[in-house]
Formats: sequence, C-alpha cells, structure tokens
Amino acid sequence: MLRTEVRNRASGGDARTGAIEVENVSKVFRTRLGAVAVEALRDVSVDILPGQFVSFVGPSGCGKSTLLKLIGGLIEPTSGRLTVGGLDVGGPRRDIGVMFQTPVLFPWRTVLENVLLPIEVFGLDRRIAIEKTRDILRLVGLEDRAGAYPRELSGGMQQRAALSRVLVIDPPIILMDEPFGALDEFTRERMNLELLRIWQEHGQTIIFVTHSIVEAVFLADRVVVMGTAPGRVLSIVDVPLPRPRSIELMKSPEFAATVFDVREYLGVAR
Amino acid sequence: MSARLDGVEFDSSKGSRSASRVSAGRRLYGVLQNHPGVILSPLSFVLLLVLWELVGRAGLVAPIVLPPPSRVWDGLVILFTAPWFPQHVWFTAAETLIGFAIGGVAAILLGIVMVNVPLFKEVVYPYVVAFQVMPKVVLAPIFITWFGFGIESKIVMAIAISFFPVVINTVVGLESVEEDASLLMRSLVASRRQIFWKLAWPTALPSIFAGLKTSLTLALIGALVAEFVTAKEGLGTLITTFSFELKVYLVFAVIIVVSVLGLAMYGIMEYLDRKVVFWRRSHFTG
Repeated sequence: MLRTEVRNRASGGDARTGAIEVENVSKVFRTRLGAVAVEALRDVSVDILPGQFVSFVGPSGCGKSTLLKLIGGLIEPTSGRLTVGGLDVGGPRRDIGVMFQTPVLFPWRTVLENVLLPIEVFGLDRRIAIEKTRDILRLVGLEDRAGAYPRELSGGMQQRAALSRVLVIDPPIILMDEPFGALDEFTRERMNLELLRIWQEHGQTIIFVTHSIVEAVFLADRVVVMGTAPGRVLSIVDVPLPRPRSIELMKSPEFAATVFDVREYLGVAR
Repeated sequence: MSARLDGVEFDSSKGSRSASRVSAGRRLYGVLQNHPGVILSPLSFVLLLVLWELVGRAGLVAPIVLPPPSRVWDGLVILFTAPWFPQHVWFTAAETLIGFAIGGVAAILLGIVMVNVPLFKEVVYPYVVAFQVMPKVVLAPIFITWFGFGIESKIVMAIAISFFPVVINTVVGLESVEEDASLLMRSLVASRRQIFWKLAWPTALPSIFAGLKTSLTLALIGALVAEFVTAKEGLGTLITTFSFELKVYLVFAVIIVVSVLGLAMYGIMEYLDRKVVFWRRSHFTG
C-alpha cells in the first residue's frame, strides 16, 4: 500500500466536498459466469486534497480510467473504500463533473444547447443559466460559436465545448479521462494552458488521466504513476514546479527531472 | 480581368450583376462539362422512348405485348379523364398510408419496449427476425380470408410488411448509443426518462427514419399485392382487371401512376428525414 504525505495546495474551491480519499480499493471485472476476467485495480490508495490538480499516468490497461470511474461513482469497487468530501461514494453525484476522451457532444444540439444539457437534466431554469453559459463560452473562447453545431467545430473547439458543459454546473471536482488525447500536439498544449488558467481561477479539484508523462507533469501538483497487470499505483510523484506555469517551464531542469522520475517508475513496471 | 475556375467565371472588372448575366451561359456549359450525366441521363431516356416507339410502329413487337409510348400516353389520358379513376388512386394511397402509420408507430413502440426490457427482447427478437426474413406476401390470401375483401385486409397487409424493418431499425438505433454518452448522462444523475428523451431517442432517429423510408415503399407493395389477390377497388385491382382484358397499354399507364405515387411518398419521407434528422452525417457530404 502506498500513501504519500500530501502538501496542502488548496487554492479555494469547496474544501468540504473537494477532498477525495481512495483506500485499498480493488476492482475486478468478472465474466457473466463469475470468472475473473480482468483485475483492473489491486489495493490502490490515494488521498487528494481539495483544490489539487492530480494526474494519473500509466500505460493502457493500468486501470487509470477505472479508478476515475470509481471516484465518479460510475462503477462500484470490488473492495475498499472511496470517499468524496468525507462521504462514501455510492453512485454518481451532481457535484462531480466528468470529461471524456471524446467530446460526447450531441450532434442535434448547438454548442449552447449542449452546454446547457446538465442544467436541463438538473431541472434548473435555462433562462437564468444562459447568461452564465455565455460567460463560460467566453472563458473558453467559444463565444461566437454558441449557435454552431458540433460537426462545424474542430476537435479542439469540441473539447472546449465539453469543458464548458462541465464548468456550467460549477463542480468542485472535475474528473478528466484523457480529454485531450485525440487532439494534435499544438492544440493539446493550448488546451493544457487554458485548463490551468481556468483551474487557477476557480480552484476545483481536478483528476486528470493521461498517458502522456509530459502532460501529466506539466499540469499536476502530483502525478500518480500506475502500472499494469494488475492495475496498481507504482508511485506518487510530487511536482515541485512553480505556478502559474508556462510552456517555457518545460525547458527547466526541474521539469526534466520530474519527467525522468515518473518515467523511471514506469520503467520499473516493465 | 476575368478568370475561370471550375466552370464558374469570376469577373472583377464588371459589376457583379452583369458578371452573373454574362457567365450564366458559360456556367451551364461548365456544369455540363463537369457533370455530363446531367444531360446524358435524360437524353438516354428520350432515346429509349424513341426506340421503343419505333419498334412498335415498325411492327416488330405486337402492341398487345409491348404498347408503344404513344399508346401508353393515350392510356394515361384515358385514366385521368375517367371519373372512376381518382377513387382507385385514393384507395391504394389510403391503404398504404394507414397501414404504414399503424405499422410504423406500433413497430417503434415495440422496439422501445424491447430495448428497455431485456428479457422481453430475448424472447421476442427471434420471432421478429424470423418474420423479417419471411416473404410477407404469402400472407395476403390468409389476410383476405380473415379480414374480407374490403380495405381492412389491405391495411393489415401493409402493416405486416412495413412493421419489421422499423422494429429492427428502432432496436438497432436505440442500442447505438455510445458508451461515453450514456456515462455522461449517468454522471449527471439523469433519470431513465431523461436518458431516453435527451439521448437514446435522438440517437436512434436516423436509424428509425431509414427504417420508415424502406417501410413506406414496402407498405405500397403490400397494399398492391393484397389488391392483386382480391379487391373491388385500388390500383392493383385496375392492373389485374386491365391485364385480363388484355388492355396492356392501360396496365402500363397504371404502372406509371403507381411508380409516381411511390416516388411521391418516398420524396415526402426523404424531406421529413432531412428536416427531422438534420444532423445526419450523410446529409452533409456537399
């Protein structure tokens, strides 16, 4: 079991609900007949403080997406305990925003209507939310594409719309499952910077799953390094880099050293 | 200064209005050059008609076997001036549309229930597939026996034949919801009703419409086949009657009317499809 002491990096946000505790969690996927198909996670423990930006990094099949879904209450653990904001996770919660590798925008809705989807599902007043939605679209640089349909947007713009749909519900926790994995390198870098800017303004707790070590280190306060067969936590690496961060940071020896650290832990897994 | 690009002329020296007037002829020329099918396809049709007419006039084929186009045209004129004709068209159209509407709605409902009740689907799906594969026209005589010579048996036939493609397309459409999309809805703690109306139903619509388009054409076939078996009214009845009377030119005329009727129905569905399922990818190829 690995548990790292955590520095308090809380930067606002909802301190009561923004903390996440994962204690000795295992997840086994079984076939219909009950035989063990995949041991997705074995005895994973991670503590995340409110307002922290934490990356999960690892090769395919290390269970990082599974862990994200467990925290989001989208699947149940086989054993172990998960709490969010001090409360046991017993299913999905409306104060957790989730972003996927694909933007999952509904093609029959405009950007604005897509962003308003959570408002509709929550049964809130759309008219009141519309002003806020426009502010969010301005924040992500989509203000003049509000009336466009998803197919009219580039991949980067689609993910911005997906991010807006998360932001519209003001979640203290955002779970991101390789959100920029399908984007080209330049767009991805720009999205990373924008995400950091938004996070620094709002101070949510963000869990960011990626298979890019560089992206994981660049964004996060801490990098949870995961390995395969079974999926498990190999190490948790603190990122001793100042904020706000810019692309130039990637030139620094500290950045290179941290990336190398993470890479070494991943190497041990092989 | 003027430049040609892709058969379209740009003329910057003149006003845009005169430029478009000047280039209209050339634009047409350009279109024909780039898309020869636009002219060749109708031209081939005209040639075919002329050839067909000549074969008839030369006496190579007896008009009772293959009436020349001019004779078929006479037949059309006879049909459209006859006072009894409209009710036959109306009869067949009504059978088709009523059967299609009942069959389509019932099929969509069954598809929805099947997707939402897995056990029900497991039990029913084999029957649906079996019926889908069966050539439904074999049922026509039985339906006449059960529901009589009137409009009812034709409607039932139209329902039977238009039902199954829509069931299958509804099931396939509702089940084509992407994993991430349903995860998104679940993460928002959406109710079953919300997941259905906001996600599953719109996701399924393109597939359902594809099924409905097939079904409408099939419903017309069903109505006609049932009329062939026995009926007092309808375009199918006209075809059998005129065939017995060896008025082949009238048979051809009715066939043309049937084709136009089918085409019109399909056109309306195609229009509705484009309006309702405006986001379907294949619509944006241009």
